[in-house]
Amino acid sequence: MTMQSVLSRVDTETHPLPTPRDHITSERTRSMIRIQQALLAGAREALAREGAVELLHPVIGPVTDPGSRGAKQVDVDYYGNRYKLMTSSILYKQTSLLAFDRIFLIAPNVRLEPIETSSTRRHLTEFHQIDVELAGATRDDAMAVAERLVRHAVATVVDRHSGLLESLGRDPEVLSAFAARPFGRVTHAEVVTELHRIGHSQSTGTEIEWDAEELISSTANGPFFVTDYPKGSRGFYDRENPEEASRLLNFDLIAPEGCGELCSGSEREYEYAKIVTRMRETGENPAKYAWYLDVIRQGIPASAGFGIGLERLTRWVAGLDSVWEANAYPKLPGVVSP
Amino acid sequence: MNTLHAPGFPEAEVRDRAARGAAAVFPPTNRYGTAVFGEDPDDRYGGDALDAMRLVPPVFMPHRLARLIELGREPLFSDVSLECRFGGMRSPVPVYVSALGSTRVAADGVDLARQAGRIGLPMVIGENVAPMNGFRPERDAQHKTLSARIQAYTEELPDGVGGVCVQQSTEDADTEVWNFLYSDPVVEPLLSSGRLAFELKTGQGAKPGLGGLTLVDDATAERLGGRFAVESLGEDGPLLRCASPGTFTEEILRQQVHLIRNNYPRAHCWVKLPPARDVAEAAEVAWRAGAAAVTVDGAEGGTGWAPSGFLRHVGLPLAQVLRRIGTPAGDLLASGRVWEGTRTAKLLASGAAAAGLGRAALLAVSEDPEAGLCRLIDALALELRMLTSAVGHYDVTRLSSDDLWSPHD
Repeated sequence: MTMQSVLSRVDTETHPLPTPRDHITSERTRSMIRIQQALLAGAREALAREGAVELLHPVIGPVTDPGSRGAKQVDVDYYGNRYKLMTSSILYKQTSLLAFDRIFLIAPNVRLEPIETSSTRRHLTEFHQIDVELAGATRDDAMAVAERLVRHAVATVVDRHSGLLESLGRDPEVLSAFAARPFGRVTHAEVVTELHRIGHSQSTGTEIEWDAEELISSTANGPFFVTDYPKGSRGFYDRENPEEASRLLNFDLIAPEGCGELCSGSEREYEYAKIVTRMRETGENPAKYAWYLDVIRQGIPASAGFGIGLERLTRWVAGLDSVWEANAYPKLPGVVSP
Repeated sequence: MNTLHAPGFPEAEVRDRAARGAAAVFPPTNRYGTAVFGEDPDDRYGGDALDAMRLVPPVFMPHRLARLIELGREPLFSDVSLECRFGGMRSPVPVYVSALGSTRVAADGVDLARQAGRIGLPMVIGENVAPMNGFRPERDAQHKTLSARIQAYTEELPDGVGGVCVQQSTEDADTEVWNFLYSDPVVEPLLSSGRLAFELKTGQGAKPGLGGLTLVDDATAERLGGRFAVESLGEDGPLLRCASPGTFTEEILRQQVHLIRNNYPRAHCWVKLPPARDVAEAAEVAWRAGAAAVTVDGAEGGTGWAPSGFLRHVGLPLAQVLRRIGTPAGDLLASGRVWEGTRTAKLLASGAAAAGLGRAALLAVSEDPEAGLCRLIDALALELRMLTSAVGHYDVTRLSSDDLWSPHD
């Protein structure tokens, strides 16, 4: 049996990364960055209308979102202690609701995703999220905010940069039409049933696989929500439906045109005993979450929230072929790059 | 020269097989024609319920007739197929190397891995190998690392057989053993050929109810202090590093299996259960949640450091574990005092899909780091072929409870 280089599985012919100089100086990248800035401006406007306060959150900490789907965390030596780069801000998002009822942040995240994700066209190891958390909100409330946010961000881009969109080959009217329709809503179970109907294998108890997600995205006529994922597929903080065991009160927002997931969100677990139990169900050692559990034990507000992948949103809005094009210094899983 | 010992275990016999291979299945050849042999009269190793069982051939053998027709001659024991598939992996014999943890005696892991790989035996790598010994080779610790074991194994591994199963327990989750491996280039050849499994460990054979226990030096204790409890055994006594066994309920086990399947779709999910009183219920939960295999240790198994009281008085014996599970609803892998063909055959006949070698594998490698395990398996395979054909089967997977007699029957 021969040993292979891990990089041999990253198909550099299908996914060529330009040199850093070529990428940052290309007109396409400049257009992308301007569009991304408009998306962020639109998102901030939309969230200000919702009454959310923008916070700046830690980049490192003793513990971070354990995530799922096999992504490794990055360890940092912090004065002899093992710290982590944030994979998401979920722990801080929940505890920050002790300061304000509605918060958001534009947060950098690092996840060493499995090498196999290098070919999905929608995974970066370093990316940003528009993170939102709303005290006292239900899942429906959070989905409504996410929908308004995306619609307003898209409208801002179309309003300010329709010329840039056209220069990238993106028809602003097509984009506007996508965003104007009410976002659809299907359950995870309905998606699985549909996938089985068309002969696509998909486990009922796991995440929708990458190729299946691309498939359902490519046949959609606009962004849509997938709700009620099974419990074993998500982190401990997605709230279990009290009326339907093993189903989570969560959602993903899927973009059309094969772009796939833009956003994940949920109602949150917020009760101490429930969170500790859910940590065990996700194989976590509660001891390492000491600071977070100390805060939770004294009580935090019930909440719902979500995180929108900024590069993924940019990719869809700008009509880019792959998510790496939506980052000035992209890092693909398994590829050593600046 | 050999410093590894296994009190209460047939160490001399294992070492003999590791040195002489299949020849050691028989009495010494220089006694041929000069001595008579019967049942071992003094049962030197105490024996357990499995030892007390006997494999009992029938007179009438329809399967032998079927094989006779197929071959056009009387079938022999050499016609028995030992090939099998369990836990998502293929193996030339219904045997795997069971988990060897971070205990110092498991430091021969690289030699063991190389031989197991050469044979194509699926191999489980124990919990705490990563947190204790580190992931990457470092000068003096290089033979202790998880990656080194896997690399040694894959370098020798023939195509299409074998595989590696890596455990993760509660403390291992802190170091993300599985996340690390899932993107480790060393593991990629196994992953891309469907020969990697992750085993969720819910307890230990030798000490059910306790987590891993390892004696460590002062420096290691200090390094591990943040993640493990470290207990001093008396004044100036050795330091005991204590892992937690982890807390499980039905729902926690079910969801942890779901999460493994969700997070690592290219790896198989195994679940290791201790010889607990609810082992049958736990195995059922694991299989139903989608585990490709459930491994069980008898209380007589285990390579790790354990309190003597636990070794003698805690946990179900393996025969009782198998009896409680009954007809398994999925692949059941069993270990505990296995070193030769008869116990292996009894485990298979009791419902196991494969038997795990723990101490025997360590002793064999200790006897001969180059070929001890290979010879031990040669001997075991010969016995297993003879036993299987003796009860009228020519495929080892056909062994069943009909082939067994227990004094309690």
